[in-house]
Amino acid sequence: MKKALFALLPAVMIFLAAPLGVCAADFDPEAYAGPRVKDLYLVIIRDPDAQLMALERGKVDVLGDLHRPVDVDALAKNPDVELSLASGFHGFFLGFNVRHFPWNRVELRRSAWQALPGDRMVRDLFGGYAEPLSTFLPPVSPYFEPDVTAYPFDPEAAKKRLSDAGWTWNPDGVLVSPEGEKVPPQKLLCPTASSAPTTAEIAVRIAGALSSIGIPAEAEPMDFSAMISRLDERDFQMYVLAWQMTRDPDSLYAFYSSKMDVRGGYNMPGISDPGLDEVLDRLRFAPDEEEARRAASEAQKALSDLVPVVPVYSRYSISAASKSWKGTLVTDRVTADNTWSLLAMEPAEGPMRPLYLVQQDEPRALNPFTSSTAYDWQVMGLIYDSLIAVDPYTLETIPWLAESWTVEKEEGPSGPRTVLTFRLREGVEWHDGEPFSASDVAFTYETLKRFAPPRYLDNVENIDLVETPDDHTVRVTMKNVSFWHLHRVAGIPVLPKHIVEKVEDWRSWLPAEEKGSDLTGLVGTGPFIFKEYRPGEYVRMSGNERFWLGRGK
Amino acid sequence: MKGYWARRTGSALLILGLVLVLNFMLFRMMPGDPVASIIDPNFSPEAKARLSQVYGLDKPLPVQFWRYVKSTLSFDFGISFLTGRPVMEELRSRLPNTVTLLGTSLLLSALLGTWLGMKAALRRGSFLEKCILWSGAVSFSFPSFFVQLTLLMAFAAALPVFPLRGTLSVPPPAGGMALLADYLWHMALPVFSLALLGFGGWALYVRNLMVKILGEDFILLARARGLPQRNIVMGHAFRTLLPTLLTIFLLSLPGIVSGAVITETVFSLHGVGRFLLEAVTGHDYPAAGASFFLLALLTVSCNLLSDLLYGVTDPRVRMERGGRR
Repeated sequence: MKKALFALLPAVMIFLAAPLGVCAADFDPEAYAGPRVKDLYLVIIRDPDAQLMALERGKVDVLGDLHRPVDVDALAKNPDVELSLASGFHGFFLGFNVRHFPWNRVELRRSAWQALPGDRMVRDLFGGYAEPLSTFLPPVSPYFEPDVTAYPFDPEAAKKRLSDAGWTWNPDGVLVSPEGEKVPPQKLLCPTASSAPTTAEIAVRIAGALSSIGIPAEAEPMDFSAMISRLDERDFQMYVLAWQMTRDPDSLYAFYSSKMDVRGGYNMPGISDPGLDEVLDRLRFAPDEEEARRAASEAQKALSDLVPVVPVYSRYSISAASKSWKGTLVTDRVTADNTWSLLAMEPAEGPMRPLYLVQQDEPRALNPFTSSTAYDWQVMGLIYDSLIAVDPYTLETIPWLAESWTVEKEEGPSGPRTVLTFRLREGVEWHDGEPFSASDVAFTYETLKRFAPPRYLDNVENIDLVETPDDHTVRVTMKNVSFWHLHRVAGIPVLPKHIVEKVEDWRSWLPAEEKGSDLTGLVGTGPFIFKEYRPGEYVRMSGNERFWLGRGK
Repeated sequence: MKGYWARRTGSALLILGLVLVLNFMLFRMMPGDPVASIIDPNFSPEAKARLSQVYGLDKPLPVQFWRYVKSTLSFDFGISFLTGRPVMEELRSRLPNTVTLLGTSLLLSALLGTWLGMKAALRRGSFLEKCILWSGAVSFSFPSFFVQLTLLMAFAAALPVFPLRGTLSVPPPAGGMALLADYLWHMALPVFSLALLGFGGWALYVRNLMVKILGEDFILLARARGLPQRNIVMGHAFRTLLPTLLTIFLLSLPGIVSGAVITETVFSLHGVGRFLLEAVTGHDYPAAGASFFLLALLTVSCNLLSDLLYGVTDPRVRMERGGRR
């Protein structure tokens, strides 16, 4: 316990030092009327050392996604920089191929979990800037279930469990099953040290820990693409892999339902349990939030019994902001580099000046249909709005372009179905001054359904009908019942009908390169207006003076 | 002579045809594919199947091959899987930086290396030769990321003489000349770093060749005839060395468009190297196929050109090709 606390100490110190101006109950989105800055530059800097130097020299004001402990330590000593830290949705897991011996034996999987010194690995490799993970959803998730069976590090207890189940050890110290089958050498797939040094080191340590209880394991580093290919073909014994999950527990279904044990599916371990499947189906098609919570909790409990994978650690999100700016919003769930901060930030002293953020790689096509990288959406997320947003304190759904909504269940011709009705905000305008209305929302959903771009396929495939009873109401009838339809549908960025209806080919559309008098084809309702993208250099945006948030106050 | 050029052109076309086929086959034989490498719990198997359809990967291989040949030979190259932009656009936006960076540094390192190599050869056993040999070996052996990061920390962070990143200030200065000056200022450190890393190889190579040439009989004869040293060195020794140097230089030219991944990363330059690396590792078939085809085209062209220049710079080759021997 003491060791665990020690491991978390640096992170706790940063968290305590972070300014938490308001608490969850005080949070009022309308208070974030803005943006206050007139010019925003997303400066493209790929090399982490160059990013750090740029911040230290005052060339940029905000640097997000810090992940090297040495950088965090260096910035912690810098009096001109404020660090913020938040629990993230990152999760790193050790997976087993449970289709074959020996990993088809649950007692072996549980003992493997217990043999891993998770706390020590986090302390040694991350300097405390990550937390040991012992659950299948990150603790920050609103659907996280803390009351599950855990297997804390105890190699002797791990051995005893195996011994009690009839396992023995041969003279070489290798485990032998109760049926007399020796555990063959096990390869643990991992990326190479040159591409992912920390992951490769963790794999070596895990292999060592497993060997200590009689499982002859060895790390097998390989090119990441080759590794993913082996996982996709189910040609492996063990693997380590990190995931970026979301606030919804979709990952539970995607990772552990037997229906996802198909080519392209993420049930790589091959877990197939009727009880678990039943709970996961209930989770996927939960009619309301209460049932969703219940099913998510049951699924996590079932998983901790079945142990298809071992949770190892979750990395914190850490960002740094220059103290020459004020107004950043930091909570235990979001770091300073978020949209709320960008709305409220202003110079700590002196006149307004441009704000510079580090963009860690190129945005690519900047095409809302095809772009799927975080770097594209770091830009487009400031341009396009969706109907709902996420509370930065609780991660709960809050109104955005929709000021209210209802989720109802009704009987349709082919069975029960969910009907979502959104009441849209009035007085919202697109960047070009055109009024935003329900027809834009309906057009967006219908267009995505017609084009079926892969990125949105799962969001729109269950939409049956979209209606607009009036200019500010949208009614979406789904094909079936699920509480998650709300998040999937209302989370889609709304596109301007008057611009997108002229697009001939959604696949090759490059809206950022369409030149108008002052605007490009990237027209949204969001807080920032796209101005210019110079590949390799920067993205320039200007504050949207027509932005609707807080106008009512 | 005509037969010789016809043969050379024929073999060049054959090589390009082979490259075309290998480009298609090799990338598809690599483990994984563009869709399988997506690791996102919100991307279902159905969405992946749709992506395969969008990329045209659901079609039979002969159909994919025919589309690929058509797009390559028409220099259209299609849309990059990774960036969603036309491959030609991607290359066009990156080539100016890459060619400036690698072309200038190749020229600088070749000129400096040749000059130093000749100096070392002409002053054998001197302190100068030792210095050149030592610095050449050091420059040749240091890993580029170490040298470049050190330069960046010294001249951009500790002593802020050069910019930290990119090819342009943010925001950029107004006016054409100011923009050009800003661009040159940004490229100075990356170009200098590559020239520093590259001159050693040239210096050692030229010095060794020159030492060998200076020991040849025709140089002894020239000295015996009482020719001035400058004539001996430039008119005889260097003239003999020139065809080899030209060949090396021309064969290095394709490298200036393939980019320098590490340099581009350290200095945050928008170049071809990183694009090429991502295309290969990310199974971006259109981008990787196009890049390697263009590289092959350039290599074959430079080879042809070097053959031609060999004839211009070395009379013996001209005579052999002319059939007078």
